[in-house]
Amino acid sequence: MNTTGTMDWYAWAKQQSDPASAAEKKEALDDLLVLDASYGSFGGLVASSILSELGARVIRIEPPGGDIARRYSPFGLEHGDTGLAYLVEGRNKHHITLDLEGEEGQEIFRKLAGHADVVIETFEPGFLDELGIGYRQLREVNPRLIYAALHTYGQFGPKARQGRQASEIANQAYSGLVYINGEPADDEHSVHAVPTKTGSWYGWYAEGLFAAYGILSALIYRQQSGKGQMVDVSGAECIMKFIDYNMGWYHMGGGVKERLGNYDPSVFPYTFIRCKDGYTFMAAYNEEAFATLMEIIGRPELTRDPRFSTFMQRTSLESEEALQRILEEWSTQYTVDEVIEKVQEATSRKEGRAAAVVTGKVCRPPETFQEQNWWDRGIFRRVQDPVYGELAMQGPLWKMTGTPPRIKWACRPVGADNEAVYCRLLGLGASELEILRARGTI
Amino acid sequence: MAHEDYFDWTERLFDPAGAFSKPEALKGVRVLELCTRVFGPVTADLLADMGAEVIKIELPGVGDLMRYVAPRGFFWQNISPAFTHMNHNKYHVAIDIRKPEGAELLKRLAARSDVLVENFRPGTMDRWGVGYRQLREVNPRLIYQANSGFGQWSVYRDRPSYDATSQAMSGFSATTGFPGRPPLKIGIWIGDYTGALFATLGILAALYHRNKTGEGQMIDVSQGESLIRIQDWTWLLWSLFGKERERFGNEDVAVVPSGIFRCKDGFVGIAALDDGAFAGLCEAMGDPDMAEDPRFALLDARLKDENREAVYGKMRAWAVTQTLRQVEEAGVLYGFSAQRVANARDHYEDEHLRARRAVWELEDPLYGPVVEYGPGPKLSETPGRMRWIAKPVGFHNEYVFRNLLALDPETVERLENEGVVGRWADRIGAKPPEDWDGEKGRFF
Repeated sequence: MNTTGTMDWYAWAKQQSDPASAAEKKEALDDLLVLDASYGSFGGLVASSILSELGARVIRIEPPGGDIARRYSPFGLEHGDTGLAYLVEGRNKHHITLDLEGEEGQEIFRKLAGHADVVIETFEPGFLDELGIGYRQLREVNPRLIYAALHTYGQFGPKARQGRQASEIANQAYSGLVYINGEPADDEHSVHAVPTKTGSWYGWYAEGLFAAYGILSALIYRQQSGKGQMVDVSGAECIMKFIDYNMGWYHMGGGVKERLGNYDPSVFPYTFIRCKDGYTFMAAYNEEAFATLMEIIGRPELTRDPRFSTFMQRTSLESEEALQRILEEWSTQYTVDEVIEKVQEATSRKEGRAAAVVTGKVCRPPETFQEQNWWDRGIFRRVQDPVYGELAMQGPLWKMTGTPPRIKWACRPVGADNEAVYCRLLGLGASELEILRARGTI
Repeated sequence: MAHEDYFDWTERLFDPAGAFSKPEALKGVRVLELCTRVFGPVTADLLADMGAEVIKIELPGVGDLMRYVAPRGFFWQNISPAFTHMNHNKYHVAIDIRKPEGAELLKRLAARSDVLVENFRPGTMDRWGVGYRQLREVNPRLIYQANSGFGQWSVYRDRPSYDATSQAMSGFSATTGFPGRPPLKIGIWIGDYTGALFATLGILAALYHRNKTGEGQMIDVSQGESLIRIQDWTWLLWSLFGKERERFGNEDVAVVPSGIFRCKDGFVGIAALDDGAFAGLCEAMGDPDMAEDPRFALLDARLKDENREAVYGKMRAWAVTQTLRQVEEAGVLYGFSAQRVANARDHYEDEHLRARRAVWELEDPLYGPVVEYGPGPKLSETPGRMRWIAKPVGFHNEYVFRNLLALDPETVERLENEGVVGRWADRIGAKPPEDWDGEKGRFF
């Protein structure tokens, strides 16, 4: 196909990567079988969601009563007896039950692992090893196996030995994210000017995404070597990678990075400002862009004010506070849309660095949800689930020209795929499953 | 409880001292990075951590503008810590790919590479004649990763986007912070990092596919979409129940209890992820009866508004009478999760993180001893590793031009004179340390 030159890039890119036509193409990971035995952790669930969106077949193994992660839901609201978070990350997975603490269940798990390419688990370190179904034992059954264990303190090292419990909040707290997130302490010792967690579960999402990254790296190595391995993932350590210059700055003698709320120690303005009806992001930190912004707010003389006249002067805390007040004196006269319109009108007349006044509405979730662009791009979509009905939620995000991701269904009830999976992989018939069920093994 | 020898075994299996004796997962994968700031460079950095050979191509002179983002104007040996921490193990070359001869050099490199990562505005590379449509002609196996704020074919494709644009427009900021207070800009460039991680995942899946089929492809990842994807139950709460997710401060409303609490001497994260852990927490708080109370015994009950508030009220009142150490020890003793809020100094001095090389001390060939966060996942057979930190603009020109492009010195000199290739400007952030002797740290 030779379309170069006859079609612009944007149209070509859309034609080649529109999620609406994903189903016509191949899947990147469709030769892989993943066992997700995670419990009480969206870290494991996210990791297997990612692999499943990219084509892997994922078998979710829950205890016969179901994973408690199904119950984690805001205010206890459920849909079809399932928590809202689980409905998001149960996607594309076959759901079976298995009692890993009984010998019969362990034997079945070993057999399943013999078929698998990847095992994901989130138990206390050494728990499955103690049961005889950890990596140390499973690699004897299947040397090609990639075994990912997710835990705040990892699988080795002094704190791993202490029996400390993992959690989403422990990942955030240990990582340094909470320390530098939030409004700076004030004199009143107020409730809100404290180290602050992110609203959604970054401690779990980062851990799951990093786990998928470790697993995929290991799979690529296995393609050439035939060898499996163990992947040890601490969500806390993963987020550390993302704490801007935290470690380097400290080591080099700059100091400990502290929290600054909406201010920024390295560039300013780079902040959220209050408007009549909400907030908008406002950045204009190089000299030329700053001059443009001062024109927009009708204060061109401030570019010569000694507090603001250079990039460096603008990033002292006093200057940032002063500039924040000046910006809000202006912006609170207008709605968010009016502010954005004024910026766009002004920057359309500028070029290069002078046009780098960047803004964007601080959207409340319903505002984000109704933005047509996100629907056109397929990051929001309606999934017709055979059991749970129509669900409008986040889709896979990569737009790929060769092997686009997809969402096939949203979720499955506890044990819904026992018959299909146990029959296909282990040849167990209905009467055998009945016995296993009666014994509490599945 | 684990077998006693489990941790002895894992310590041997993962022994970081042996990292350089083991293979690398992505060895042999060559990545071209045409990126500035954070979103693109972090993508390539994650690949470099796992052994990919990353060639970072910057503009001659000033290079990546991230070089000049420095906390409170702080530079060290003429380089910013904000730049070093996302540019490890990379080869730094400077080529102006907007010039025809520069584009030609890029094509020659692309013909011998596996992955290209760029984060220009959508369509820029195509306009310069070195976009995916042109490069796949010289290398059909190429995986072309295009990072941008809104995507290659979004209606907003021409809008500039920084990290905080994505935090704002995705709804991520609106749900972080306290009720009655402004939405919170997250203390890290979370849209850039999360987008970069998603980009890395797409690249790895595409490499896996290519290794089977020989087929390359283009992958389009947006910052804003990355943050939308990771907002757990936010969207279903709205689409199924018409309820808007608000700012709930430090206390989780979907896992109860899970939150950040003030202690005597700092802040601590505490969570009880199941009913057994909650019973342990109640015991630690000196109120074992609470775990028997039908309002609190089961997670489903604790999630109800008034019960949730009672649980958190109890925890706030208890935690403030405790030290961090007491809470963490109680967590181990009674079986719930407790972790103090750590900062850079805590990490630097943490023996556990040092033992795991999550905090990794290395001797950089140019800058000497540095300490960085090590690779995220620890792989037993192919551990990631830290070799060096970022270098001045064009620092590895000779190495790459000689080894990969076989350019002779006369050609390089001519290209330098014509501004097609080059090295650092005389500017802090771009240039070597003041006392550099002209040789230290160079490769041939």
